[in-house]
Amino acid sequence: MAERIVVTGLGAVSALGLTADETWASARDGQTGIALHDFDTGPNGSGVKTYPAAMVKGDAGAALEAVLGRRIAGSLDPFALYALKAAHEALGQAGLLGAPLGPRAATVMGNGIGGLQTLEKGYERLFGQKAQKVHPLTIPRVMVSAPVSAVAMEFGIKGPVFATSSACASAAHAIAQGAALIAGGLADIAVVGGSEAMASPGGMRSWEGLQAMSESTCRPFSEGRDGMVIGEGGAALVLEREGHAELRGATPLAWYVGAGMTSDAFHLTQPSLDGAVSAMRQACEAGGFLAGEELLISAHGTGTPLNDKNEAAAMRELFGWAAPRHPVIATKSAHGHIIGASAAVQTVIGLQALNAGLAPPILGYLGADEDCAGIDLVLGEARPIRAKSLLVNAFAFGGLNCCLAFRTA
Amino acid sequence: MSGRDEELITIIAEEALMDRAKLDPAAKLEDIGLDSVDLVSVIFAIEEKYGIEIAEDAFERSDTLGAVLGKINALIDAKAA
Repeated sequence: MAERIVVTGLGAVSALGLTADETWASARDGQTGIALHDFDTGPNGSGVKTYPAAMVKGDAGAALEAVLGRRIAGSLDPFALYALKAAHEALGQAGLLGAPLGPRAATVMGNGIGGLQTLEKGYERLFGQKAQKVHPLTIPRVMVSAPVSAVAMEFGIKGPVFATSSACASAAHAIAQGAALIAGGLADIAVVGGSEAMASPGGMRSWEGLQAMSESTCRPFSEGRDGMVIGEGGAALVLEREGHAELRGATPLAWYVGAGMTSDAFHLTQPSLDGAVSAMRQACEAGGFLAGEELLISAHGTGTPLNDKNEAAAMRELFGWAAPRHPVIATKSAHGHIIGASAAVQTVIGLQALNAGLAPPILGYLGADEDCAGIDLVLGEARPIRAKSLLVNAFAFGGLNCCLAFRTA
Repeated sequence: MSGRDEELITIIAEEALMDRAKLDPAAKLEDIGLDSVDLVSVIFAIEEKYGIEIAEDAFERSDTLGAVLGKINALIDAKAA
């Protein structure tokens, strides 16, 4: 039997806090990171527009520089900064800071769009200010692999290093790929997760154009839900070959037990029932989750009318009569939709929920919607749970689905 | 050191993410640890601030920081003249 893969560290930066613990505590306590925020297109643009958004509070760059003991934030786009901060925290918890991690370590992190804020600033200079030059480091700051390169350089990771990109499922694919590298013998340690920082003036206008954004807040599975709320941040997990972790005496936080990946091959923005069910089924079969034991489900739960209807239907189809047994959480209602980072942030919160025996509440809920009936939504306040298993759903634009399975015992 | 030199050193420290105290005018760029990537960021920021053009090959890594400041000052003065 293949050696198991253990989770030995967690890290997160989000609107709920600058660490995994802060992010978890806020989610557990029902605090939201969503607030109205002004997005200014500047003197050459059309002005300020206000949207609900889940912005990182406090200075993540200063927090990172404080722990690294040197200046670095100015050289990175925020999406790379969040990844590096989360990776540092996760490796710290795993007891892997200090010596370079070397050729048997990997890092795979996902993002949906790269360094949009840097790109936007550069283009504003070019098209708005009519400047001749953009910042000379625009390309290395924007590239989708900037976060993993920063992580690899900081921690001396010399094995497989690459980024994944599958819109809102990017981090889920990254986590599964990192685990696959360990299972395939290419690494003993994989720093995995994702990051995103596309809550910029242009990014927000683009989402608005798609008519996918809520005008109030994210209300997963609720009547009256009217869309998603964009968030920013990043999260990381340290995955490790179990024997490697045992030899080091590392404390196991959870075990990665499998994933499911499907593509709808159907529509750019509409979800499909089959694609979602198949991805969930693969992950649940890998984890042995279909025997009826209570399972914590961290739903994709974006708060859009179509996603939540489709996702609830997928849970009913997959679990049948047992669907109401499984508590469903939807933490995007607190940290917003962090696009390519979402699955990583949700995994970090979900694993802490399992270890605490508490499911964090879905926020913004106004009342039952019959389209989302037949599943057990965790509402009101944190609820005690018995579940020792976690399913994380990620269903991306373009019909790219990736679900992750974890166990804590 | 002139007020403008102080300003320039502040920009270099910011752009190259360096401790200001390390930026000794007598030291060579390569000894300070300014690499080519740092240098393009520094040149970009100085061009922005003073509205000048600095040629890509204006500086050698064997130049001292003081020599670099002198060249930049000459460019700024030439523009003002």
